[in-house]
Amino acid sequence: MFGNASFRKGARDSVLILFAVGAFGVAYGVLAVDAGLSQTLTLFSSVIIVSGAAQFAMVGLLAAGPVPILLAATGLGLRHLPMSARLADIIESQSLLTRLRLAFILVDETFGLTIRAHDAGVDDVVAYKTAADLMLYSGWIIGTAAGAWFGSSIDPEAAGIGVLFGLLFLGLAAPMVKVRRDWVVAGAAVVATLIATATLPVAWQVSTAAVAASLVGLAIDE
Amino acid sequence: MSDLALVLGVASITFATRVAFLVKPRSAPGGRVGRFLEVFPLALFIAIATSGLVAPLGSAQLTANLAGALGGVIGGVLFRRSLWGVLGLGAACFYLARAIIG
Repeated sequence: MFGNASFRKGARDSVLILFAVGAFGVAYGVLAVDAGLSQTLTLFSSVIIVSGAAQFAMVGLLAAGPVPILLAATGLGLRHLPMSARLADIIESQSLLTRLRLAFILVDETFGLTIRAHDAGVDDVVAYKTAADLMLYSGWIIGTAAGAWFGSSIDPEAAGIGVLFGLLFLGLAAPMVKVRRDWVVAGAAVVATLIATATLPVAWQVSTAAVAASLVGLAIDE
Repeated sequence: MSDLALVLGVASITFATRVAFLVKPRSAPGGRVGRFLEVFPLALFIAIATSGLVAPLGSAQLTANLAGALGGVIGGVLFRRSLWGVLGLGAACFYLARAIIG
């Protein structure tokens, strides 16, 4: 698998991701250490979580305590469900070990590439995704280590890393806005967050606002 | 809860959601639950972005962050909702606004 054409294509298509994810890894490493995680735990978190969204949310909410962090991780993880179902359709009869391996790095970027490659008729989708996953994983781990160990001279606030964190989530939301209902949900989420920020304890602001906006979306559907 | 337990908890939740349909393939939930799952990630992402960009200090602020948010939205529209379009234009607007207003 590691030498076939699909694997090489997956690696080539992911070069940009390697560098972009590496840069985000550096930002994560700096922010996580600044938030109070040890350097080793910061690296360990990237090795076993492999989710920029969940990890940035974790360090962003570190001061709010474990409940909002685990709620946010659950909420962020919900987007994996349809991705997981779609990938299962594509890889069909692979062994359990292969399916677990592919699930471990089921992230927006390589999932998007894999779907596109599948639709374009790539022969070996598993090899393609494996290559893309390895590229992304390498960038994320190396970037995190660089940020955690060598980023102490970077002031996250002065560098505007916190803003990049907010923009990352805005960017992740952007492709999800497809129909009128989605615009309404997005608008409701902004309003609900502003209200929650003014009225609720930090621990409940984001999750309450997200649930409220989702219920608005549900009401529109019906 | 220790930091290590927290990291392991987040890792477990993340992996559980990723592997949900890959261990034993089955169809995605339908009905109200399915529709809720469909819109919840969008609502959550926007809520986190709003919290970080528009109201970083607990209330809406007219800061460079807001310029970054507006740039991000414009980038999303201009670059067909591309993640990198949002990040690129949002960051450019943020750094420009900060250079101007401090």
